[in-house]
Amino acid sequence: MTLAGVLTLGYIGISSYIAEQLVYETPKPIVRTPANLGLRFASVTVPSRDDHINLKGWFIPGVLPDGRLTVDRVIVVVHGTRTNREGPGDHLLELTAALARHGLGVLSFDMRGMGESPPAPLSMGNLEQRDVLGAVDLLRSGRLPFPELGRPRIIGGLGISMGAATLLLAAAREPAIRAVVSDSAYADAAPLLEREIPKRTVAVVGRIPGVFAPSALVMARVLYGVDLFAARPVDTIARIAPRPLLLIHGAADDYVPISNFQQLDAAATSPRTARVTTWVVPNTRHAQAFKNTGSVYVARVVAFFETSLGSDHTSAGAAA
Amino acid sequence: MKAPRALQPMFVLIGLAILLIALTAVARAISALAGFLVEREVVLQVWLVGLLVVGAIFARVVRRSMRRDDSPSSLWLITVTGLVLASPLALMLLQHPSP
Repeated sequence: MTLAGVLTLGYIGISSYIAEQLVYETPKPIVRTPANLGLRFASVTVPSRDDHINLKGWFIPGVLPDGRLTVDRVIVVVHGTRTNREGPGDHLLELTAALARHGLGVLSFDMRGMGESPPAPLSMGNLEQRDVLGAVDLLRSGRLPFPELGRPRIIGGLGISMGAATLLLAAAREPAIRAVVSDSAYADAAPLLEREIPKRTVAVVGRIPGVFAPSALVMARVLYGVDLFAARPVDTIARIAPRPLLLIHGAADDYVPISNFQQLDAAATSPRTARVTTWVVPNTRHAQAFKNTGSVYVARVVAFFETSLGSDHTSAGAAA
Repeated sequence: MKAPRALQPMFVLIGLAILLIALTAVARAISALAGFLVEREVVLQVWLVGLLVVGAIFARVVRRSMRRDDSPSSLWLITVTGLVLASPLALMLLQHPSP
C-alpha cells in the first residue's frame, strides 16, 4: 500500500510538472516586419472568437502587377507551434511577402501564447482554432486598416504545421474560409506529443522518460483545462468539402510522419464532393517545403488560390 | 461491521481526490483573472501541495485502519484500496507506448 501510494503520488506529481512545462513556453520575439521586405502593412489586433483574446497581427494588402494595392482576396496565414507570424524557422514572412506580391492580401497573426499575443496555454489547435475564426470575423466585419481598399470579397487560409492543423479545424467550422492550403499538418496531436515529449528536456526533471508522456497530457487537462486529445483534424477535415483543399507534406518529415498526411488525405477525400489536391515534396523535412522549393512552392500555392478564389475583382486601388 | 470499516481508506481516497480536483479548479478560476502566467504557477503549486496533504491524510487513515482490522476480509479490502490507489499509474503504463 505504501509503495503504491508513493509511486502514484510521485508519478502524478512529476506528470503535473511536465504538463506545466508543456502548456507554455516563453514566446520568440519578432525581429522583422513586412516593411523589411518592402511591403506596406498595418499592425492589427485580432480578437479571437468566443474568448476574445486580443492577438497581434499584420494586415498586408496584395500588390497587383500595376502596383495598385488590393484586399479583394485575403489569405489568413497561420504559423506553427512555438514560433510566430515572422516564422524564422520556416521562412513564413518570406512566404507571406510572396503571396502579397502575387496580388493576395494577407492577414497573419500570432496565435495565443506565441509571438506578441497574450500568454495562453498551448492546445495544439483545439483552442487556437478560435484565433483563426477571430481572424475571419475581423476580415468579414471588423475594423480593417486601409479603408480605401474596401472589405475582402473572399477569404482563403494557409497554415504550416500546427497552424495547418488549426486551420483545418477552423475551416471545418467556418464556411467563409473558401480555400485551404495545409502544409505539414498532423492528423491527431496526441500521438505526436506522446512521441515528442520524451525527446524534450524540462527544468529539474531533465530528459522526460516516455512513461510520463500520456499522463502529462491528462494532467494538462486536469490542471489547465487543455484537452490535447481533442486536437484531431482527421475527424473534421471531411467537412471542408466541397471547398478546395491543398495538402502539402514533406516526404522526409520525421516530426509529423507522412502517415499523418495519408490519414488526412483519406479523410478529406471521403465525401463525394471533395476537391483535394496533394503535393508530397521529395527530400523535405518538417515544414521546410517553402524553404526547399521557393518559387515552385509559391507558384503552386498561388495557382491554387487563383483557381479556388478567382482572379482579383478590384477595379481601383491606392498606389503601392 | 468490519468490512465497511475496512473500506474507509478507499472512501477517504476518493473523497480527497474529488476535493483536490475541485480545489484546483477554483484556484484556476481565481488565478486566471491575473493572466495565464500567474494561473500556471498557482495551479501547479496548489495541486502539488494538495497531493502531499492528501498523501499524508490517506497514509494516516490507512495506518489506523490496518491497526484496527486484521481479518482476512479486511486485508482483502485494503488490498483493493491499494489497487485503486495505483490505478492511475497502471492505466498510464498500459497506454505506453501509445498506438
